Amino acid sequence: MAAPMKQLLGEVATDLSALGYSEMEEEAKDKERPVYNWKDVTQEFRESASQLTLGQLLHDSQFGLFEAMSAIEMMDSKMDAGMMCNQIKRKVLNLNQAIQSGDVKLKDLSYQELIGIMDSTLSCVVTWLEGHSLAQTVFTNLYFHDPHLIEDRCLKAFSLCILKIVDLIRDKVNRASVFEEEDFQTMTYGFKMAGEVTDMRVTGMMKEVEDEYSKLIRNTRSKQGEEKNESLEKEHELVMAVYTRLKFYKQFFMMLLAFGKDKCEGIEQAQKLIVHLQELTPSMTASVSLGIQPEQKEPTKNDYPTISGFEPLINQRLLPPTFPRYTVIRSRSDAVIYMETLLEKLHVATTIVGVNSFQTIMEIFKEFSKSSPCVLSRSILQLTFLPLSRRVFGEHSIVDYLKDSIRNFIAPPALALKSPLYNNPEAKQYVDALLTRAARPMCNLVQITGHNRARQRDKYAHILEEMGNLQEEADKVDAYLHKLLMKLEPGRQHLACFGTWVLYHTLHAMISYILLGFELELYASYEYHYVFWYLYELLYAWLLSTLHRADNFLMEHEAYMDHQKGRSSKKSKKKKRTKTLTKEMTLAQAQQQMFGGYYKAVLGLKLASKMKQPHFEFDSEEVRYTHRFVPFSNIATPPMVHYTQYKEMTDLCRYEPEPMAEDLYTASCKCFHQAKILYESLSSPSDETLTIIKIAKTNFVMMKLLSGGHKKDSKAPPEYDFSLHKIFPLIKL
Amino acid sequence: MAAEGKCELNPDKEKPVCTVPGNKLEKWLNKSMKIQMTDKRTLIGIFLCTDRDCNVILGSCEEYITHPVEEAKEEPRVLGLAMVPGQHIVSIHVDELRDA
Repeated sequence: MAAPMKQLLGEVATDLSALGYSEMEEEAKDKERPVYNWKDVTQEFRESASQLTLGQLLHDSQFGLFEAMSAIEMMDSKMDAGMMCNQIKRKVLNLNQAIQSGDVKLKDLSYQELIGIMDSTLSCVVTWLEGHSLAQTVFTNLYFHDPHLIEDRCLKAFSLCILKIVDLIRDKVNRASVFEEEDFQTMTYGFKMAGEVTDMRVTGMMKEVEDEYSKLIRNTRSKQGEEKNESLEKEHELVMAVYTRLKFYKQFFMMLLAFGKDKCEGIEQAQKLIVHLQELTPSMTASVSLGIQPEQKEPTKNDYPTISGFEPLINQRLLPPTFPRYTVIRSRSDAVIYMETLLEKLHVATTIVGVNSFQTIMEIFKEFSKSSPCVLSRSILQLTFLPLSRRVFGEHSIVDYLKDSIRNFIAPPALALKSPLYNNPEAKQYVDALLTRAARPMCNLVQITGHNRARQRDKYAHILEEMGNLQEEADKVDAYLHKLLMKLEPGRQHLACFGTWVLYHTLHAMISYILLGFELELYASYEYHYVFWYLYELLYAWLLSTLHRADNFLMEHEAYMDHQKGRSSKKSKKKKRTKTLTKEMTLAQAQQQMFGGYYKAVLGLKLASKMKQPHFEFDSEEVRYTHRFVPFSNIATPPMVHYTQYKEMTDLCRYEPEPMAEDLYTASCKCFHQAKILYESLSSPSDETLTIIKIAKTNFVMMKLLSGGHKKDSKAPPEYDFSLHKIFPLIKL
Repeated sequence: MAAEGKCELNPDKEKPVCTVPGNKLEKWLNKSMKIQMTDKRTLIGIFLCTDRDCNVILGSCEEYITHPVEEAKEEPRVLGLAMVPGQHIVSIHVDELRDA
């Protein structure tokens, strides 16, 4: 940061000295740092300080104990990062010093050294991607501080290529902005990332070196009929390993570039490259052992043994003055495994292009997020859907995309091509205004799914307010359109079309908010009854009615279209419906039944005093309940159910005769059974569905046993086992 | 900074808050100070606070690994607010320039 300033001052100085003002040069230098007139006061200071009484602080009026608290404590190993440099016995050399001392070679590197450097670098890159700082990972590789000094062509091309890759990744992650500080460190510390070389040049260099090595491969290959030459075979193996790596990084770089192309034009290429890359990883794993390895030394917290060319402490001075973060670099084989997973995830990102409904995108993105993918794959997925141009897949405007999605979801007359409403300029204006307004929260919903799992919950809570406002506006537009439609085409309706669509997304956000609580292990078992109740009686019930409503609209729309086309009613009856929400409804029903099963089971267990109850002073279930559902208070529909209402609605006295624990077990049993049947009716079930079916079956059996009086006298609390599924536990007694 | 000074309990007393009459320390407040630590690092910052055990708080503190005057080349590391425990202090220098 100070360097350009210095340079400037330096330039000024040279100009002036050329003119004969050499004394000015001195002055310019002096300006850089303040001149002190130091006077040793150590003794004086100590004596004066000792006159203070115990606990007394000497300070100015503006400075108090509060400010003092935020000071970092020097010489404290937990706070003072700079202390490390002096604790290390060995001398830390920078690139130039290491070259002079001969610790770092610029040419004549052996194949083993090359493999070792490449693999160690990958370990560093992967560690960086896992949220550590660049200074403590990638730039512990001394070669990267000035790759142009390297004379070995292979290592030079590799270094430039990795720097380019790092720069590209950094750019992508920053742009997608689906990270928090625990995912990714944005600081670059002013490191140069081969910006002076073009992407083309780097791929060209890699290609040249690759060709060189492919020649070497041919030359070292043992020919048929010749005697086996062991040293030649060994060399062949080593050259192959270097070649594989060169190819891998070149293609990886090209793949990242392909993902960045406008209008998703590079997706096909990226897909092909991913397949190629996946073919290379097994041989990379197999040859990890060929590279030179660091000496076996006991690593300390911040220093660890490395191979030549790496210096863990080289950037220690660049670290911010916060507490030091220790970086444990991933092992080389772990790094390759990481890349394999990354490639798998990136493959998913190539498959989303062309998905024409926002609802499906949300489903895919949520599914993607479930396996906790890394920050890079999350970012690329986001950027593929919505690149910087803010056009969906780089092509469609968000409003058009939303229109298409809504057509698929509820087919409102206002968006039906042949409807008089569609061609009404005023109606169009209203619809466009609404959807322009909807673009932001809808894109935010997609973005939320890109964040790490732990952060998503918070973000859902935040967006609910905005969704509530959007819903209000959607209802107004619907009412207006309805009025207009009644005039244009009496007998048709436009009630709550857009409203239903917004409500659908709001409900999904609410459900995700609650369900993430299970995954993050936030709920205690004594909270289960109201959490399950809210899901079963409220959120899923609303979701189902929303879906029914939308499905009815779809049906109505198709009938209307057929009618317009003048098809005979017989034909249209036979015709399969093109758009339907049946699958979604089945799924929602199945989930509702699952939660119903849990709710009734928990209630039964509570009646049988098998549930652990909290015994805190000032304990209040109402406080807990309110806290759990507080973000829902911003939403008008569905209205928030307050604790007193909840208590009333769930009071068992309302039933005649009042149910016993056994009755509740039986009811729960029915729910689980129903859920099982519904899940089984889904065609081509996913692995997750199969797991849930298994859970439903097991819980069904457990409830059956309980209703038959199993362990009736035991007061032992049940165990909720989330090992099979993060949301649906097995109930064990 | 373990204990709170008496001064905090005495808010009506205006400026400077904690004084021992005639204490030299007071005139050094808010002046540049250079502290050498036991591990040979040097810190330069604004003297803000001290106590009986010579624990010193420096503001806008910069850290030099080598002696800053001898090797003027070195880029300092910016620490901000830093507390140096008295037991780690080797020497203290005050900038007298502004008196002149």
